[in-house]
Amino acid sequence: MKKVFLIITIVLVGSSVRVFAQCDTIASICEKHLTQKYVSDGQQYRALLLNKEVAEFNATLFGGTTYRLAACTGLKDGQLEFSIFDKQRNLLFSNIEHKNAPYWDFKLISTLDCTIEAQLIDANAQSGCAVLLISFKQ
Amino acid sequence: MQIKKLGSWLCIGLLPALILVSCTGNNKSELEQEAEKIDSNKSNIVSVGGTMFSIPSPIQTSMLLKKSGAPYSKAMLNVPANVSRYSTAVKKALNLGIYGADLGYVILYQQTQDAIGYLSTVKKLGDELGVSGAFSESLLKRFEKNMDKQDSLMSLSSEAFRSSDAYLKNNERLDASALIIAGGWIEGLYFTTQMVNGKVKDKTPLIQRIGEQKTTLENLIKLLTPYYQQEGYTEFIDALIDLASSEFDRVEIKYNYVKPTTDEANKITTINSTTEAIVAPDVLKNISEKVAIIRNSLVQ
Repeated sequence: MKKVFLIITIVLVGSSVRVFAQCDTIASICEKHLTQKYVSDGQQYRALLLNKEVAEFNATLFGGTTYRLAACTGLKDGQLEFSIFDKQRNLLFSNIEHKNAPYWDFKLISTLDCTIEAQLIDANAQSGCAVLLISFKQ
Repeated sequence: MQIKKLGSWLCIGLLPALILVSCTGNNKSELEQEAEKIDSNKSNIVSVGGTMFSIPSPIQTSMLLKKSGAPYSKAMLNVPANVSRYSTAVKKALNLGIYGADLGYVILYQQTQDAIGYLSTVKKLGDELGVSGAFSESLLKRFEKNMDKQDSLMSLSSEAFRSSDAYLKNNERLDASALIIAGGWIEGLYFTTQMVNGKVKDKTPLIQRIGEQKTTLENLIKLLTPYYQQEGYTEFIDALIDLASSEFDRVEIKYNYVKPTTDEANKITTINSTTEAIVAPDVLKNISEKVAIIRNSLVQ
């Protein structure tokens, strides 16, 4: 029993190390979409998505600011759908309507409490690390 | 927010929480359970590794202060020498966030000499918290090389904090990550409340920004609640809950949806919806006082 437990632990630890490494690689690729004009909000957001799962991030975007949101999974652009909803569940943006763009800029006239949802686009993708980066223009 | 649950045989706290799916144990407090409640209309939503919230950067507060004509105020910042006071991991993490906000502030106001001091302090705390990779010697050198370039310094500083956040999350130190974010947030709000009571001509944008922190504070409490019973967290979280329930609950938020407009060629969408935060004078006064008490207790 102890041996089985040990083997399970090793497999899971190994898997998680691989997943984390994958997320880091994806984050590095994603960061390229943020030019020096944009300042990171100092946080990294990521989620392991399985099949049709949707990751949800709650955010407040301040008025008078232009943001760049980059959302990535895998080694190629265009594999992650991301959408922004206000608290009344109005759809404000979806990259699906813009050729699955990996990043997009948002100019906020006024402060917005919103929800950002992300899910894998590829119907065949079974799992993937979704990385979201939020930055604002200096 | 719904949390994806594995079979309980995986999740009864026997294994270190290294996998990126959150597990629920059997002995969670009410507060922890509250933090994990789901929206039943979103059965596919996952919260991985805990609740996912974005807490705005304190640099944005500093940008607003500068834009409002607020003068540079060194007295408002946490003195770098205070770093020797912080002996617990909780105090170190909170003050790493606080000093990070201070660093952003001095960079924005182009106070080069002060910036060097704050960067050294941030590096020291980063080393002590085990995130020295994010605040490395090479970062210091790049900083010194770009001392006359505000944009570069801001980018370097923010990237360092993001690296630190990524490292902490990779190593399942979500509690430390949350504290750093919380420290930065409280310092940014402290700046705003100090300046709104100080020498700023048009205080309206600052008062608006204070009121707009209502939802962020709620999110921050949710971010910290899973660690409520850990040593050093309870008092701080209680203070935030009191701030939210006694004062920010009295802030009225009026939101009006307006259809966004998109410039496809330039990949930019303008969000035209409006939010107005209504903060009564007595509420503003109370918020200012309570934020000062909380913040000063953290830097002591």
